[in-house]
Amino acid sequence: MLGIFLLVFLLFLMMTTGISALFARDLLASIIMFSAFSFLAVLTSLTLGSPDVAFTEAVIGVVSTTFFVVALERMKRGSSK
Amino acid sequence: MNERFGTVVLDTAFRFVIPFVMLYGVYVLINGESSPGGGFQAGALLAIAVVLSRLVQGEKAVFNISGNTALILAGIGTFLYGFVGVLTLCWGGNFLEYGISPWAMLAAEKHALGILGIEIGVTLCVMATIIAIFDALTRKEEV
Repeated sequence: MLGIFLLVFLLFLMMTTGISALFARDLLASIIMFSAFSFLAVLTSLTLGSPDVAFTEAVIGVVSTTFFVVALERMKRGSSK
Repeated sequence: MNERFGTVVLDTAFRFVIPFVMLYGVYVLINGESSPGGGFQAGALLAIAVVLSRLVQGEKAVFNISGNTALILAGIGTFLYGFVGVLTLCWGGNFLEYGISPWAMLAAEKHALGILGIEIGVTLCVMATIIAIFDALTRKEEV
């Protein structure tokens, strides 16, 4: 029973962070929200009992967040000229 | 990303973190059969160590793999995967049929050894590809 409540809570948080990542004005805020979404997906996978998927999601969340931040930095540098 | 970033605190902290990240990556690779993990996760962890070094110390990082070297490493990793598969073909089995190898071992040991071989290939390929993407993102454009 507690597991169901935890799962519903995590899915609700995932929905909130996903929608706010879509509609955020600032791109950096969008990236951070996407990172939070990825971390909540890790917790959801752990709740559903698949640590392998959770591990992959955690690692890929870190890598993709780094790539997004680097790409955003490069984009800003190009637009400032 | 191309120039040095941060102060001595960040530099020292990242020097402490890097060895543990790399050791954990190798542990995930070796222990991947009996616990969560495997070649892909190990490669991503090892790549994170290099990317973190590049982020903090810039292009003159102490622990660095350049983009061209990364592409060569990715080729070597893919070759290793294919080599293990073709080796079992040469011994008379199917592609990636590890049980056919002529060494005097148990069947489970042969399987573990063969899977370790292809996982090392996958690790090299994933690590080098992530570093190559990062290098392409941070490269200075030619004028």
